[in-house]
Amino acid sequence: MADDELLIVRCQLGERDAFARLIRAWHTPVWIYVRRMLGPDKADDVSQEVWLAVLRGLPRLRQPGRFTPWLFTIARRAVTNHLREEYARPEVAFDHEPAEQDASDVVADRAELEAGLAGLPPREREILILFHLEDLPLQTCAEICGIPAGTAKSRLSRARRMLREEITKGGYLR
Amino acid sequence: MNPEDMISKMSGHTSRFRRIANVVALLAGLTEAAFVSLLWATEPGLPPRTKLAFAAFIVIGLAWAAYGAWALTRRTPMFALDRVIAAWIAVGAIGLLTVTTILVTTLRHRVEPALFITVALLSTLALINLGKARARRSALVRRKRELGG
Repeated sequence: MADDELLIVRCQLGERDAFARLIRAWHTPVWIYVRRMLGPDKADDVSQEVWLAVLRGLPRLRQPGRFTPWLFTIARRAVTNHLREEYARPEVAFDHEPAEQDASDVVADRAELEAGLAGLPPREREILILFHLEDLPLQTCAEICGIPAGTAKSRLSRARRMLREEITKGGYLR
Repeated sequence: MNPEDMISKMSGHTSRFRRIANVVALLAGLTEAAFVSLLWATEPGLPPRTKLAFAAFIVIGLAWAAYGAWALTRRTPMFALDRVIAAWIAVGAIGLLTVTTILVTTLRHRVEPALFITVALLSTLALINLGKARARRSALVRRKRELGG
């Protein structure tokens, strides 16, 4: 965390080698998120859009320690612009979604998760990517998605259930 | 695309030379437009063709200023050191404008209160901007040291 903050402060000062280090450290997570959300065809172009927005926004980032949620919020905004229609659909109500205790009960491994993701709606897909593939804390995922932590938890539970159904339907389950 | 490809694609946006060039375009355009406006305002009875030429110079200056402003706000981020450099360039440009204003009005024995107020206002804004840019950079340098950098 302190290393990330130091890197961001160096970028804000305008040190060029810090930009290169920042991109080396965060390009792959951003690219994976974008590729999982939009597919391989758009991953490169949208990742580039994300980095342009990051460079433009960096001088105004007031809390360098909160770089990760800020970065993924920008990435999410870029993804949302490309999935506007899908995001516009109302979210299914999930008042009584049972809470999952452990992701490993539902998702046997990353390979299964990745195989079933493509069939999920974007909101469910993104929370699974952020939580399971990017290994971000639930609170950070909630912040990136712009929802309360409780809603993020319910959405994650529902996303796991939907993923389970998707995996079963697609015959990915061993 | 791997990280090195992305670094290469972003290199134009992280180039200090390009950012400072945009600042220079903005300030040079504004200074040129202000200087020609000053001449126009203090020179009575100009022939129509001279007025047309002055107007063309003002438009060219403003066009460069608009390009610089657009590039700085939409394309090139300004980091702490860039802002300090840009603020010093602005102080220099406004200093030049101030000296020119004093020279022109003194040589023509005409006091132009509106011009002096405008120049004084611009100088104050440039100095405030320089102070803010330096304070922001100092705060970041302090934070960098605290983090062990």
